[in-house]
Amino acid sequence: MPIKVYGTPTSTCTQRVLTTLIEKGLPYELIKVNLAAGEQKTQEYLDEKQPFGVVPVLIDEDGFKIYESRAICRYLELKYKGKGTELMPTNDVKALGLFEQAASIEMSYYDPYVSGIVFERLFKGMKGLGDPDEAKIALYREQLNAKLDVYEKILSKQPYLAGQDFTLADLFHLSYGNRLVKLNEGHFFESRPHVKDWWNRITSRPSWQQVLALA
Amino acid sequence: MGCSSSVSSSQPVHRTNNIQSSYDTRGTIVVYGMIQSPATQRILATLIEKGLKFQLKVINLKAGENLSRSYLEKQPFGTIPALDDVDGFTIYESRAISRYLEMKYKDKGTELIPKGNIKVEGLFEQAASIELSYFDSYANGIVTERIFKKMRGGEPDMNKVAELRRDLAKNLDVYDQILSTQSYLAGNMFTLADLFHLPLGSLLLKCGEGELFESRSHVKQWWNKISTRQAWKTVQAMA
Repeated sequence: MPIKVYGTPTSTCTQRVLTTLIEKGLPYELIKVNLAAGEQKTQEYLDEKQPFGVVPVLIDEDGFKIYESRAICRYLELKYKGKGTELMPTNDVKALGLFEQAASIEMSYYDPYVSGIVFERLFKGMKGLGDPDEAKIALYREQLNAKLDVYEKILSKQPYLAGQDFTLADLFHLSYGNRLVKLNEGHFFESRPHVKDWWNRITSRPSWQQVLALA
Repeated sequence: MGCSSSVSSSQPVHRTNNIQSSYDTRGTIVVYGMIQSPATQRILATLIEKGLKFQLKVINLKAGENLSRSYLEKQPFGTIPALDDVDGFTIYESRAISRYLEMKYKDKGTELIPKGNIKVEGLFEQAASIELSYFDSYANGIVTERIFKKMRGGEPDMNKVAELRRDLAKNLDVYDQILSTQSYLAGNMFTLADLFHLPLGSLLLKCGEGELFESRSHVKQWWNKISTRQAWKTVQAMA
């Protein structure tokens, strides 16, 4: 039984998992969940797949089920350690600590603001939840600028967020960052030379290019 | 360097000596933060679960010590906590620090991340992500309005609180389901995924939002179990 991913090729969280699968060279089957029709909120989906009613979910070859995109990616790295790209430095406690620091940076200082802007400017309208809240967007932008100034400092000393190597901590930024660029908000990356270099480096990885081609 | 804390000598286990000098920190774990800060409390709980001695250097947010050049060299985002390990290795972000302490001091004290079985580890990661996706930002939002804003002389936006409460309640309904078939979020073992809820969960109770836990029988049971752990009681007594 191949690895099964329940989600969609354009869902930002599903894209995290697909990128990881491709980095690890793992074959998989993407089973589309009809988000527009609310399939993820049906009792069947809640009972059998993901009790919070979101995508993605992964079912491994042996039937093991796991959800939460970052958890899925971490699990794939642990399970298929020797395959494809190494995405977490599990051999050295300090390197692993700095990886965890970088993974937390993405959650603390990037995701809330980037997903916030993308929600207000794109998903809110798509879901019929009203017009963009410009005051909120302005606040998110202010915060994101302040945080990316710190990214600029960090990335002036090292090529990737956790150190010398590309890791899941960088990968987790791709899908929402891409949405930001598509909304003509790429200036966040472009205006900071080291952030810009890092962004170009991680977005030009073949795995990410393949995921974009699926959409 | 930040100021040393004025923790009294009634808590000797958390001071390696009493000399207030930066040279003391060789060979000691040093925590930079504030005892009242939820994120600082997260790592204090972890340190105590692992039975690790540490020294707390207070970084006074009100006095802007988190924005001093020397602190920003440690933590460039200017937030607390940060930690120096015994060999001078610096790490920040409370959940990263907790994970690092667990990995570095694996054999000491309580085991906080299950090792040796990839499925069990995967379910731990799922639970750790659940805390971040479905609890943290809502709890933090409520507590910011109802406690921290008031501390700064502002008034809570009760409409915002109602919205956050409503969303958190929906998520805790799912927690109740999960916890009806297992004792803890990751399975049948207490892990960091549960621990990470303690600081904000306790503050929710303090500002009168206890009904969120009390009205859900399995969540209530789980909360009672994790919040009465000795390590957490010790942290609360420090504050």
